[in-house]
Amino acid sequence: MRGTNALLGAAGLAVFLALGEAVPRLGLVKDEYFPPTSRIADALATELADEAFWTALGDTLTGWALGLTIAVTAGILAGVLISVTPYLRAATASTIEFLRPIPSVALIPLAVLLFGTDLRSVLLLVVYASFWQVLIQVMYGVRDVDPVAEETARSYGLGTWARIRHVLWPSALPYVMTGVRLAATVALILAVTAELVIGAPGLGARIAVAQTSQAVPEMYALVVVTGLLGLLINVGARTVERRALSWHQSVRGEVAV
Amino acid sequence: MRRLLIGLAAGAVFVAATACGSSDSAGSDDDKASGGTTTIKAGVIPIIDVAPLYLGQSKGFYSKRGLKLSLTSAQGGAALVPGVVSGQFDFGFSNMTSLLVAQSKNMPVKAVVNGAASTGEEGADFAGLAVKKGSPLKSAKDVEGKKVAVNTLNNICDTSVRESVRKDGGDPSKVEFVEMPFDQMPAGLANGQVDAACVVEPALATIKSQGGTTIASLWVDVAPDLTVAMYFTSQQYAQKNPETLKKFQEATAESLKYADSHPDEVREIITTYTKIPKDLLETLTLPQWPAEPNRASIERLSELGVQDGLFDKAPDLDKLLP
Repeated sequence: MRGTNALLGAAGLAVFLALGEAVPRLGLVKDEYFPPTSRIADALATELADEAFWTALGDTLTGWALGLTIAVTAGILAGVLISVTPYLRAATASTIEFLRPIPSVALIPLAVLLFGTDLRSVLLLVVYASFWQVLIQVMYGVRDVDPVAEETARSYGLGTWARIRHVLWPSALPYVMTGVRLAATVALILAVTAELVIGAPGLGARIAVAQTSQAVPEMYALVVVTGLLGLLINVGARTVERRALSWHQSVRGEVAV
Repeated sequence: MRRLLIGLAAGAVFVAATACGSSDSAGSDDDKASGGTTTIKAGVIPIIDVAPLYLGQSKGFYSKRGLKLSLTSAQGGAALVPGVVSGQFDFGFSNMTSLLVAQSKNMPVKAVVNGAASTGEEGADFAGLAVKKGSPLKSAKDVEGKKVAVNTLNNICDTSVRESVRKDGGDPSKVEFVEMPFDQMPAGLANGQVDAACVVEPALATIKSQGGTTIASLWVDVAPDLTVAMYFTSQQYAQKNPETLKKFQEATAESLKYADSHPDEVREIITTYTKIPKDLLETLTLPQWPAEPNRASIERLSELGVQDGLFDKAPDLDKLLP
């Protein structure tokens, strides 16, 4: 079954690439602005041979990984803390709902003012965007704890920490993992966007330079790289999710009835 | 730990962000001078205009004065003016109108040394009002009632387009301006999104390579030798570091002069920080790089800004210019 899926995925990609080659060649769009796949592949090969490309890739991945780590840590800590403290939950609910919909890119002027074109500008945007993904999922997860299990743990005399460790955390973990998976993708998008708009070093900045330089195939080649990166990150996050939740029904599957 | 948790619960990321910010601005003053070399953080835009800085750096014009240039490419002036004012950069590169607007709003900016100037040659400048191949528009007056692309609304582009239209006997208030990044203008013209575009190199060369032409030399219409852009700093930095500022001015003036007389080396250095394709690079019209800004042209730009309502009050050139 999984083999078929991978095959179908590859077939879909192949059709897409073929379309990318055919559409400009047939003159449906101008190849100056939308070069055929083969020319993008050429440009990609040139990029891969360039040391500066790998530095940029490293910069982007650094921003992504650091930002995601901070967001996930902060999101989990804050989420659990807020959820288990009723008065904190009441105090933060409206603030969270107020801050959460603010698009991260709206913070670009603030980021520039505080940190210029540093990595920290990227981190500000990445953390802001992915933090909410984790926080909200953690809070949903905690709310989903079975009250019977919770009460049982209480009546067996488990302390707060033990209840968090043995009841709350396993119940919330599937939600947390969903949050982390979403955050991983969002973090990449925001890292590239920050580089693109602000000019912090990384793949995004390289895309921007290619754009201003009228180097169209190179620009698409770099865009393809960010797409591939997103794909890898998603696959990676799913693998982590499967490992962490191998005990959970959603991954283990039901016994056939 | 407890403080961290309270901070997270209270305002999440903002707290952490501002805390880092204040510690950084305290640190940036300390690492200025180490071992007799002063590191200068300059924010530039990855375009041909700033080539003299890269060239001057490779020729050692800065290092022989004890300066070490640390160049950062930012995306457009949006990141540069706040970056310089907040002290993230020591110097930045900006077009003249943006600096005039900043000054008129009493932002503490100080232009320090010339950046780039128009070639002053009609039909052979590094910017122009461009139209696509076979366009019915023949001169600036024809863009009345048409869509004209500018990179930023209410900036140097629409000011100069208005002036070109006015000089050609047209009514500038009838022009419809559309915001569009320079690099998208060739496509914007080709597929008819806009009828004309205020465009600079290398996008201008792309348009020309597709058979497009310029119907007005925008900068030339504003002034014979327009100072298009300058390097600037914050007033605070200028007051605190008069020596470094003077060295930067001298080194940059030398770089500008060198760049002006060595166009081949300029084209060579451009390949190190842009990705302009080789065949396009050879056809580019380079700006002029005089060492001194042309005050008369800046005054004209300021007058036009006042006329077009770009500023609430006229900028104070004595405060702005070196």
